[in-house]
Amino acid sequence: MIPRIHKDTGWRLFVRTVMGRAYSRAVGYQRQLSRLAIEVGLPLVALMAYIFVYRAIGGSQDLIGYVILGGAMSWFWVNVIWSMASQFFWERQIGNLALYIIAPGSMMAILLGMALGGMVLAAVRAGLIIVLGSLLFHISYAVSSVPLLILVFFLTMAALYAMGMMSASLFLLFGREARYFIDVAQEPVYLISGTYFPLRSLNAWIAGVASLIPLTLGLDALRQIVFARSAALGFLSPKIESAILLGLALIFLAAARRSLGYMERLAVAEGKLTEHRA
Amino acid sequence: MTPQLAVETEHLGRVYRTREKKNGPKTLLALDDVNLEVARGELFGLLGPNGAGKTTLIKILTTLLSPTSGTARVAGFDVSREAQKVRPLINMVSGGESSGYGMLTVRENLWMFAQFYGISSREANHRIGELLDELHMADRIQTKSYQLSTGLRQKMNIIRGFLTDPDVLFLDEPTLGLDVGASRDVRAFIRRWMKSDERRSLLLTTHYMMEADELCDRVAIINDGRVLACDTPANLKQQFRGEVIYRLETTPVDGVGAGAIRSVPGVRRVTHQEADGRSTLELALMEEPVIARVIAAMEASGIGLLSLKKQELTLEDVFVRLVGKSMEEMELVHDPANP
Amino acid sequence: MLRTYWSSLRTATWLGWQVEANWTKPILFALYTVARPLALTGILVMLYATVTRGDFSSPMFAYMYVGNAFYTYVGAIMTGMSFAVIDDRERYHTLRSVYVAPVDIRWYMAGRGTARFLTDSAAVVIMLLIGIAFLHLPVHFTTIHWPLLLATFAIGLAALAMLGLMVSSLALLLPDSAWSFGEGVAAALYLFSGAIFPIQVLPRVLRPVGFAIPLTYWLELLRRSLLVSAPGSPTLTTLGNLKLLGIFVVLTAVLSAAALGTFRWCDRAARERGMIDRITNH
Repeated sequence: MIPRIHKDTGWRLFVRTVMGRAYSRAVGYQRQLSRLAIEVGLPLVALMAYIFVYRAIGGSQDLIGYVILGGAMSWFWVNVIWSMASQFFWERQIGNLALYIIAPGSMMAILLGMALGGMVLAAVRAGLIIVLGSLLFHISYAVSSVPLLILVFFLTMAALYAMGMMSASLFLLFGREARYFIDVAQEPVYLISGTYFPLRSLNAWIAGVASLIPLTLGLDALRQIVFARSAALGFLSPKIESAILLGLALIFLAAARRSLGYMERLAVAEGKLTEHRA
Repeated sequence: MTPQLAVETEHLGRVYRTREKKNGPKTLLALDDVNLEVARGELFGLLGPNGAGKTTLIKILTTLLSPTSGTARVAGFDVSREAQKVRPLINMVSGGESSGYGMLTVRENLWMFAQFYGISSREANHRIGELLDELHMADRIQTKSYQLSTGLRQKMNIIRGFLTDPDVLFLDEPTLGLDVGASRDVRAFIRRWMKSDERRSLLLTTHYMMEADELCDRVAIINDGRVLACDTPANLKQQFRGEVIYRLETTPVDGVGAGAIRSVPGVRRVTHQEADGRSTLELALMEEPVIARVIAAMEASGIGLLSLKKQELTLEDVFVRLVGKSMEEMELVHDPANP
Repeated sequence: MLRTYWSSLRTATWLGWQVEANWTKPILFALYTVARPLALTGILVMLYATVTRGDFSSPMFAYMYVGNAFYTYVGAIMTGMSFAVIDDRERYHTLRSVYVAPVDIRWYMAGRGTARFLTDSAAVVIMLLIGIAFLHLPVHFTTIHWPLLLATFAIGLAALAMLGLMVSSLALLLPDSAWSFGEGVAAALYLFSGAIFPIQVLPRVLRPVGFAIPLTYWLELLRRSLLVSAPGSPTLTTLGNLKLLGIFVVLTAVLSAAALGTFRWCDRAARERGMIDRITNH
């Protein structure tokens, strides 16, 4: 009798699935330097437009720093909506979704792998935007607390990507309209989350509702920590915003687990896992 | 307890409901009362035209789609209620797949899928090397998959299916898009794989009759969601060999001559075609000796015999007998471009 | 030949409309069409309000607002035309069929851009109306210079079509990066064309880029034809309307020649490298 292959189960299978799925993003995607150049260079150019508007109307240097930090962080949002929330839609188009479903590795692990790989990918781009933007426009930073900065950043990532995981299951039920919903989730979110201007400039109610999007409070907290005179322009204190981000991360993660199971059952019942609706 | 049956369906049915703006909701009966058993160690074929329900059945058995009636079990587990127990034991390959990621190499794509099954990197890479060798793709191991031709891509997909050493493997038109040589390689590989471990079972769908005839221990013929027959290819042909089929080429046959042939005792059926100044007759006879009486009747009617050939029954013939049309004719009927 | 061009353009416009619009109910589609441009405008308004505390009667605001409104067309046509290549190749796998068919691929791309132009026109009109109604935009229908407006708009469309052709030609050769390419080019032009700030704000070394782009003159002429008192770029205000129009026409002609040349080169290179049906599965 030929020995069968040993296959891990339980947490080992979970970890292998996460690593396997993260690999294609973290490694495969990065292979083309031309792609990196375009994905850093062109957003940087777009940011410059807002920077020069601030310069034209007499905006302070800190506001220019806001634009650079906002532009860098927006890369994570783009990654979450295009490569997390709507990813199952694309995976279904190319035929991978069915293969993920029938594999014993859990869909949560697949999503987590997507999140980790996407974070690496986005972090490279965001980091380059911050470095290049800061050099070009002579932005100086005055970090008030490094541990708080790291905490806020990771809580923002956790909450953002947990939101992406939760949204991913919703897209199992979408057809072509998925792509258009994602389109609409970019600039309107940048507007209500204060990506290029202080969140405080918005009406408090709008800012409050926008706080459900982790990018909003994450960015506001990061600005208060890294720019010397930004405490006055902050919406809430960084510590309160961190607590809210933690809460959002936990809620979204729990919701992701539940909605994934529910949506998968619904998709299996309606046969939506393998449709190729263009 | 090891299940004796790899696949078992009981009164399995699937209805699709589509929403159409103009005419309101529509239902499509994709599977109707399907009862099948695939034994462990069996290579089972599912034969039928496009739209027959083969892929729907595969989707249900691989836990991608739930049935609307009846039950299905794979390796002893219910596909609806115990999907998590089914998945570690199965894998699936579809024809014309474009799965994986273009920027990853062949090895990386296959390694990634192996991780989803809990296979260690060392074991996975070892098996990838072996399988690529067997299917003559070893030189492509570092090729990015977007650079592969359609045929090589399909071979990579097939390797993906075998890589995880499943108990039950589902192949949905696996040789679609492969050239003759590659198809032969794949069929030979399937045979070797089955032989090397009697615990393995394979369910193959195809609309290539020859492929089913060559590979399968048993074949089910499916059409319009219903299983019309299920047996070994030899037995299926034997069932319809109740008739003996002869193909004759003769001088032109008129109505009187055709009537004379039809009236010979033991002649069940005569089909008659005229072309290029000759007649082609296909005769279905009750038994072999009847042909002598037919020839005598032809001589008496002044019909000259130009050639005579006995037809060996193929699965295609079995299909036509069951359905009333050939596979090609069925697909034309189902083709929306051909009203 | 003219019949081929017209047939390619008409069919592609119809197809572009189907691709863009038939995924949802008309009301949702209308909302979708205006949401992004309005959000972009909102961002600019907020940027402005943050610094000036809401002084919308300033000429600088009118300059920025009108430029941004019409710039919507740039993004629409860039992405509309480049996505004709990207979507058809990567998602629908039909680009090779279009190439093999007896259509003029340039007019096919232009047709797809036309569909986006038509759908985004509603957003432009709405933005202008909002500006007039709520943000003190100094546009009065009795003072609009209609001949200048129409001439500028028409020549501008030709310039945008040529820019779109250039971008979509390059997209043929960039399968892995093409998704962001059209938008990226539009973003770059946003920076250099004086759309939302006078070119004088740019570093001296970058200003010549702005003066070499036809879009700069297009936007300037649109402001002059629409606004009661057009603030304009300090450099361009020394030039009269006719001179400005003349420069615009010449630059558009140069751009057209460059675009057609780029297409010819990219088309040949794409065929040589087998890029017409390259699918990356990203």
